[in-house]
Amino acid sequence: MSTVLSYVAAPEGVPTRASLEVLTRARQLAEAGGHRVAAVVLSTDAAASADVLGRYGAATVYAVSDAAFAEPLNAPAVQALADVMARADAALVLFPSTEGVKDLLGALAIRTDAAVLPDVVEVDWVDGGVGALRPVMASKFMARVRAEGSPVLVSMRAGSVEASEAPVEPTVENVSLSLDASAATLREIAGAAAGMVDLADARIVVAAGRGVKDAAAKALVEELAEVLGAAIGASRAVVETGVFPATAQIGQTGKVVSPDLYIGVGISGAIQHVAGMVGSRTIVAINQNADAPIFDVATYGIVGDLYSVVPALIAEIKKHKAG
Amino acid sequence: MRFCVCVKQVPDVTAPIQISGGQLSYDAGRVVLNAYDASAVEAALVLTAEHGGEVDVVLVGPERAAETVRKALAMGADRGTHLVADGELDSAAVSSLLAAVASGYDVILTGKQAQDSDAGLAGGMLAERLGLPYVTNAVGLAQEGDAIVVTRLGDAGQETIALPTPCLVTCSNDMNDPRIPNLKGIMAAKRKTIDTRPATDVPAARVTTLGYEPLPTRAAGRRLDGEPAAQAAEVVRLLADEASVL
Ligand SMILES: Cc1cc2nc3c(=O)[nH]c(=O)nc-3n(C[C@H](O)[C@H](O)[C@H](O)COP(=O)(O)OP(=O)(O)OC[C@H]3O[C@@H](n4cnc5c(N)ncnc54)[C@H](O)[C@@H]3O)c2cc1C
Ligand SMILES: Nc1ncnc2c1ncn2[C@@H]1O[C@H](COP(=O)(O)O)[C@@H](O)[C@H]1O
Repeated sequence: MSTVLSYVAAPEGVPTRASLEVLTRARQLAEAGGHRVAAVVLSTDAAASADVLGRYGAATVYAVSDAAFAEPLNAPAVQALADVMARADAALVLFPSTEGVKDLLGALAIRTDAAVLPDVVEVDWVDGGVGALRPVMASKFMARVRAEGSPVLVSMRAGSVEASEAPVEPTVENVSLSLDASAATLREIAGAAAGMVDLADARIVVAAGRGVKDAAAKALVEELAEVLGAAIGASRAVVETGVFPATAQIGQTGKVVSPDLYIGVGISGAIQHVAGMVGSRTIVAINQNADAPIFDVATYGIVGDLYSVVPALIAEIKKHKAG
Repeated sequence: MRFCVCVKQVPDVTAPIQISGGQLSYDAGRVVLNAYDASAVEAALVLTAEHGGEVDVVLVGPERAAETVRKALAMGADRGTHLVADGELDSAAVSSLLAAVASGYDVILTGKQAQDSDAGLAGGMLAERLGLPYVTNAVGLAQEGDAIVVTRLGDAGQETIALPTPCLVTCSNDMNDPRIPNLKGIMAAKRKTIDTRPATDVPAARVTTLGYEPLPTRAAGRRLDGEPAAQAAEVVRLLADEASVL
């Protein structure tokens, strides 16, 4: 019996929300197609997340533990995944669409002679092939695509499905490989500040744009994020000026987020920004220009000056949380 | 070093694009050099200006895409190759065609993704086909002796990675502001060589696009009027009671 394999990103041993969504979909597709469902984790201590993965229905967990996975280099990951795909006889491999996955997907497809559907929002078996719906043209349109043959690799945008539990006792297969030395060498990682909510996995995102002009406005955005327990995102305009870190950028070039709640503060809503947030469940826009295109996608639009709207909003949320 | 930059012609995503009968239609005049590829060309020009070397570009696409090769030459690239192919090619097919032209260079640059497909696959595929080490989503590029040092944006932060040459790097537009060709560049480009030939041995596509659809419609939004305090109270009430996200 062949396998629907689910790739799990588990920084510090904890599977990300997007990984559990993908595992949920893998489980459903395995059931529908008469396949086994398995998860694969590449980590320094890959078995650590097996319990959680069992809770979400992974019958088998391929745990590939190696010191190499402490570094975000693509070559060891491609080699390990190709190996596990062969072991598991993978017909379909689902991935969360993270930067790490984008870094390896193309090479892995060639290595394993797989068809690949990147960055989809829906995936299903269709008439003996794999069908998917994926945003294209800066998320202006959806393309209905289809892949032939086996295996097929599919990466899914975060928030495309709801993660749900279906507990099993997982069999852990500890895979030890002799990984080739990587030609690339990591020199350093200038990381995000510790304790910050990860943008791609966040339930609530507060995003700042060029309207957030000075330290006072930035402090307001940070306070709003804090009272909401939100991650902070940004438009390209304020990443370019260095006011917000490059890792905060949301959009076609930046990250794609689909939180339950996105609040855009002083963002106009250029197509390349909207590309990264239009999948959010609820969108609030705060902008002083009533004609800003962000209002076209906003669930709730507040036309006003952020310097007076955001403090009022913070006060109101505090009141709500208290009572 | 010798650079090969892969460039694609794409529809301008900021121009009007319609769907009819499941297909996209747009003004054939509103096509551009893929923004990420423009940044790749710029990066190659900056590095060769500083350290010496040359920059070739390669494009797979229909006849009319010749103007995009010309644009890269007008920016300052030395030579172009145009493999003429009509119709949609998936990233796997494109990377197979590019592999034949791009082998033998010290550094291959591609965009991080094509702005129309938003696939982001062809770079990694090409590297794998040629057996080259590679880095994706580069926001910075430097040359240190025989090595290329790349700053990339990863999940956790900015990663600095050194690659031996030959290698491949996929570029983000956050890397630089691509130059706009000046008159001198445009004139010079007219005299540069473009090796134009039909693409042969085009692999069968494993992935097909069945059709295009509009985005799922979002419920019409609501404007909240009044003073900031009233707007804030109303939005919090809606977020809690209607949207159930607070
Ligand atoms: C290939 C390509 C890729 C790109 N990728 C991305 C990407 O990934 N992400 C991204 O964000 N952009 C991207 N861009 C850039 C994008 O086109 C826009 O330039 C950018 O999103 C604009 O950012 P902004 O909305 O913050 O700034 P602006 O467009 O300048 O908007 C600022 C807004 O703030 C409002 N404002 C000002 N002051 C106040 C105030 N006091 N109170 C309330 N509102 C106020 C203004 O009314 C205005 O609407 C890309 C562009 C290209 C060409
Ligand atoms: N038809 C093409 N001709 C030349 N280069 C291409 C072509 N298609 C894609 N590429 C290169 O591959 C990158 C990624 O493309 P894609 O996988 O379609 O997102 C682009 O930014 C280009 O650098």
